[in-house]
Amino acid sequence: MVMLRGFLVLTAFFVIGEALRVMLALPISGGVLGMILLTLLLMVRGSISDSLANASQALISVLVLLIMPGVVGVFFQADQFASEWLAIALALLAGTFLSVLTTLWVMQRAVAGRPKAGTGE
Amino acid sequence: MSELTTRYQLLADLLASSPVLAIALTLGAFLAGSWLFRRLGQPIWSPPVLLAAVLLSLALVVLAVDFRDYRNGAQWLTVLLGPATVALGVPLYQQMHHIRALWRPILITLPIAATMAAVYAIVIARLLGASPEVLASLAPKSVTAPIAIGITEQLGGSVSLMMGGLLITGVVATLFVEFIARRLAIRDDRILGFALGINGHAIGTAKAFEISPTAGAFASLGMGLTGVFTALILPVAFRL
Repeated sequence: MVMLRGFLVLTAFFVIGEALRVMLALPISGGVLGMILLTLLLMVRGSISDSLANASQALISVLVLLIMPGVVGVFFQADQFASEWLAIALALLAGTFLSVLTTLWVMQRAVAGRPKAGTGE
Repeated sequence: MSELTTRYQLLADLLASSPVLAIALTLGAFLAGSWLFRRLGQPIWSPPVLLAAVLLSLALVVLAVDFRDYRNGAQWLTVLLGPATVALGVPLYQQMHHIRALWRPILITLPIAATMAAVYAIVIARLLGASPEVLASLAPKSVTAPIAIGITEQLGGSVSLMMGGLLITGVVATLFVEFIARRLAIRDDRILGFALGINGHAIGTAKAFEISPTAGAFASLGMGLTGVFTALILPVAFRL
């Protein structure tokens, strides 16, 4: 019963997110809008109820289950994109290599270039 | 004998029109995939979702279940994806205090890294002549799956292709972070974790938790922030 209260909060935020997306014609999914609102609310409140923490933990632990129907589609619809396999493969492999390189390089510079410890707080 | 065949046909039609078989198969494959993942010693190159998806595909082929019937039935599960995406806000909130320790590098790195992750993929694919649908499917390749599904649907891409790209990206990002960090002599767990979370979403974050709890925390933060940032920027940028 307690966890259901948490599920209600998550579902309500999703409905609010969907309402915002449709009413304001936003190009962002209702789930993400609800997630941002929930994060902001929690940051303002500075605490989280057990029921919400448990409910979100439960849903996140079965995320793989929820995305599986989408993943399985790869095996059944892959031939649809067969003619573009080289572009897809290179974009994934070279693109990911470059983005990892960029991330590490920028982050290393940013950490090293930080002004004297203490002033950044 | 022919009566039995007729009855069997009746059963097959019944199961094809009801979501219960699709849900049972998905649950079974999910549990079997998790079990197999542990038995294989939790290999990074083969995350549980991939194992479960392969098992599920085999089951669909062996049982001669039509993929469209399966997808219609499984929609009952994907309804939960919306509330599950909202649920990601909870760990994001819980990791937020790590920003305080390293806020300047994080705020400098995140927009650049999250933007370039999408830009590199789009530019490379476009130079090689990929269609707009493929570009829309590859753009959110570094974003965690539930958020990426929302982005792809907004951009008009293929969720299945995006999911395949997401899996490959997660696995190779994890390998590249190890390789490049060694070359650049980076040993700071916070940097490694953040890079794993930004580029490798949930798969990179799982690897980060193997390195250390600190790396895992920064990976969770990187994954969450990348998801939010990309979801806000990409649909707007893609229209231009």
